[in-house]
Amino acid sequence: MKNFWTRIIEELSQAWIVTLKDIKVYYLRPGMIMFGFLMPFFMFFSFSVKREMSAGDGMARLLALTIFFTAAAAGPFIIPTERRLGTYDRLLAAPMSLLTLLLGKIAVGAFFAIAVSSIAVIIGILFLDASIAQPILMIAGIFIGSFTFSTMGLIFGSIPTRNPGDVQMPSTLIRWVLLFISGVFVPLSEMSTVARGISYISPLTYSQDLMNHAVLGTGELALWLNLSVLFLSGVIFLLPSIKLHKRGRVLGY
Amino acid sequence: MTHAIEVHDLTKIYPSSGQGLLAVDHINFTVEQGEVFGFLGPNGAGKSTTQRMLTTLLTPTEGQLLILGYDLADNAYPAKRQIGLVPEESNVYTELTAWDNLMFTGRLYRMSKTDRVVRAEELLKDFGLWEKKDVKAEEFSKGMKRRLSIAMAIIHKPALLFLDEPTPGLDVQSARTIQNLIRQLSSEGTTVFMTTHQIEEANQLCDRVAIINHGKIAAIDTPEKLKQTFQQVQSVEISFTVSFDDLEEKLATLPEVSTVLKIGDKWRLYTESPPALLPHLIKFTEKENLDIVSLNTLAPSLEDVFLQITGQQIGSVSEEPSSQKLGMKRKKGK
Ligand SMILES: Nc1ncnc2c1ncn2[C@@H]1O[C@H](COP(=O)(O)OP(=O)(O)OP(=O)(O)O)[C@@H](O)[C@H]1O
Ligand SMILES: [Mg+2]
Repeated sequence: MKNFWTRIIEELSQAWIVTLKDIKVYYLRPGMIMFGFLMPFFMFFSFSVKREMSAGDGMARLLALTIFFTAAAAGPFIIPTERRLGTYDRLLAAPMSLLTLLLGKIAVGAFFAIAVSSIAVIIGILFLDASIAQPILMIAGIFIGSFTFSTMGLIFGSIPTRNPGDVQMPSTLIRWVLLFISGVFVPLSEMSTVARGISYISPLTYSQDLMNHAVLGTGELALWLNLSVLFLSGVIFLLPSIKLHKRGRVLGY
Repeated sequence: MTHAIEVHDLTKIYPSSGQGLLAVDHINFTVEQGEVFGFLGPNGAGKSTTQRMLTTLLTPTEGQLLILGYDLADNAYPAKRQIGLVPEESNVYTELTAWDNLMFTGRLYRMSKTDRVVRAEELLKDFGLWEKKDVKAEEFSKGMKRRLSIAMAIIHKPALLFLDEPTPGLDVQSARTIQNLIRQLSSEGTTVFMTTHQIEEANQLCDRVAIINHGKIAAIDTPEKLKQTFQQVQSVEISFTVSFDDLEEKLATLPEVSTVLKIGDKWRLYTESPPALLPHLIKFTEKENLDIVSLNTLAPSLEDVFLQITGQQIGSVSEEPSSQKLGMKRKKGK
């Protein structure tokens, strides 16, 4: 039993080492800044122009958007880049489990999203003069959303390829689709029944609703439902990544 | 004592193209602890594929792999802790300094801080990179990157080191540093598995050599024994003051000659028995009125053995080795 726990602690610290290394190597890369940092802000401002909404409403949406786009940007960029440079082999051959490696990579995207959403929070408070109904819930929501969407991005990063361009397209496309069917642009309360039914497919809907709870103090869906859907989809998103990594090992990537 | 590497019927079929590409075809071999084992073969022979399976990066289609006694299919973890890996391309993190690259790898292999620092300093000094320790690897030359990637592979003192083509593209100085390092590691008890297509390197470094061609192992033995087995590839090297058009054909028709090869201004005549060939050769030069500049008999080199097995021409690097198209004239019926 002691061995078991030592091993768990070892693996967790290895995941952390991978995360730290990636933060050092990738956070300031143009690709990350472009897709992870500028894009959500750009989208938010272009969509909020000429639209009446309260500061709190705007901030809840900005947060949901940044978490979603930023967290999912890291995986599809970093892993194919590392496969091309051969540095991914270093990690795959190291004495740690695949899950540990994936956890490390998930944390890279998640921390990036947490950092960028902190900026969104500051902008919201300073410039939009927003007030936050439940700060603790907001922080928890940022964390859980960041990890879930980073895990989603990891699926694309796990596709066996050495070219980040190959996965950038499908990953961006799917993120756009999930964004448009979600309750970010059109609030759930204003949607038709059909649109609302479709919006439940997108995990972003729950993240947005969670942010509404946190910032505005009210949401369309139950809080526990938002939290559990986000948590469960994070876990489920891991499965295709594991499968794709196994496939990559058969194909020779 | 457990073998360092034990391979049974190892096979890899890449599923990518159509019905699949057979890259490694039921190979068997063992490597003993402390050995330097060379894996020699032309381009596309399956060397990297084999090494990637041995280091868990590639899943075999078939067969069993034991690394230091651990079956990779059931329990790769303890094996992974004890191996070091230098892949074909130097895979250092170019955005990190030499020092940070080593620290990262040391941490990944769970070395304590003091061990890491002491070992990194030792390696950087040995490899002539100490002055550059705070320089990002993107500013390194090819040879420096190679040295750094080897340092990263041995920072945790692995019991078994894999090197995929350690030296091509490096200048003599860098290549020699790396070869000396391999010798030193071996003398300290590290088992070394290296792939190469540089025959001389294998000859000088390896205790045993496996020659792989088209995914199959064609021969495994010590370099000296391989040379002995291939006595028929002894040769006589001769050069004349002049040359003429059908000289090559005429040389090829001499009794006892199996193959004629032009090497610079010399002709190399392969034969099973130089003493039997020499009288014919002398008679030929008299008949043709040729003046001999030099004449040497050569024992088979490992290169000859390799060529004999793979049917390649000396110095040529070809995807599809075949004796016919490479200007190597074989006598009919031989
Ligand atoms: N990922 C892959 N998918 C499909 N085929 C592959 C893959 N990797 C290698 N091959 C093929 O497998 C065969 C063996 O390749 P391998 O890289 O093992 O050769 P090698 O002996 O290392 O050659 P070289 O000396 O050029 O490095 C080649 O025909 C190659 O084209
Ligand atoms: Mg190779």
